[in-house]
Amino acid sequence: MSSHTTIAETQPQWAGGRSPFNVSYGKLMMWIFLLSDAFTFSSLLAGYGAIRFSYSTDLFTPWPDPSLVFNHFPLAHGIHLPLLFVSLMTLILILSSVTMVLAVEAGARKDKKTVGIYMLLTIVGGAMFLGCQAWEWSQFIGEGATLSENLFGFTPSAAEHAHQLSLGDKVHWIAADRVPGPVPFASLFFIVTGFHGFHVLSGVVFLIIIYINVIFGTYERRGHYEMVEKVGLYWHFVDLVWVFVFTFYYLI
Amino acid sequence: MSTQQTSQNTGEYIPETYIPTAESHGTKELMKTFWILLGITILDFIIYFSWPHSIPMMARNITFIALGVIKAYFIIGTFMHLKHERSFLIGMLIIPAIVLLGMLIFVFLHEGNALSNY
Repeated sequence: MSSHTTIAETQPQWAGGRSPFNVSYGKLMMWIFLLSDAFTFSSLLAGYGAIRFSYSTDLFTPWPDPSLVFNHFPLAHGIHLPLLFVSLMTLILILSSVTMVLAVEAGARKDKKTVGIYMLLTIVGGAMFLGCQAWEWSQFIGEGATLSENLFGFTPSAAEHAHQLSLGDKVHWIAADRVPGPVPFASLFFIVTGFHGFHVLSGVVFLIIIYINVIFGTYERRGHYEMVEKVGLYWHFVDLVWVFVFTFYYLI
Repeated sequence: MSTQQTSQNTGEYIPETYIPTAESHGTKELMKTFWILLGITILDFIIYFSWPHSIPMMARNITFIALGVIKAYFIIGTFMHLKHERSFLIGMLIIPAIVLLGMLIFVFLHEGNALSNY
């Protein structure tokens, strides 16, 4: 039909003059950036794994059980509800990923209004996730965790009480139950979730910039919505990282 | 896909003639992926609360990591459209990731073991 179709069929893919990867420059560079970012996150998580593993034979300062640390839920103070809040955060992030990919889909149809609506929903989802994370951090800090301090080592009697807790039980710690635990537990939590949260924050900023451009019709004039797809790639990557942060910090 | 779109995008990136678009492969697959991701997250939740004590915890942890990898496959493949890209791009992204991640995990578990013996 057009001349370059025939070129595509006759010339080998790596002969030069065109991209063997068959994506535009911007998208290829976004993929390469995401690959490098994946390395950063995997080194953080692998470092976390190494330090946690090194405590597995330590009888004096055992690694805290995440289900006894992250067991809060808003408006349910003092009740043992592990994993519920963080599952809610995961759900919010998955939903915002779905609205993002729907915005890209609408962009392929050049449907400006639908792109706007879905991008706005994605921004709201990202902001909700950040709010949840801020709440969780404030709980954690309020219980005595800082970058250089961790009060989640339990005395033996408290540890026994802790392991008999089941979902929905009342938690009654006394101050003497709390003894210093492994410092890297708190500092790595702040570093890894903080680094991820910073990615979410910058993702929300990028989304707002693209959203404003969609509203003002920049991409309609340009004739394509590829920018929405590029920011979408970044946003899905943030979701992808959260899958592993969720697995390594809260599940294991 | 309409003929108009096909004539714009012959699936070939040649800088002089290429007109980029946002990618779309229909909403049906996206919604299916969403339900799969939701289902796996609920499965995580169920395993977390009902893992029997008779089975070693390491098996549970490996299950969680495997479920995480499955989730990653669906996010990268469907949401980021990598399934529909050319195999050179897939290889360029996946092979270094697998090699380096494998190396990192091995080195750090090894080092973690060494650290615990000091």
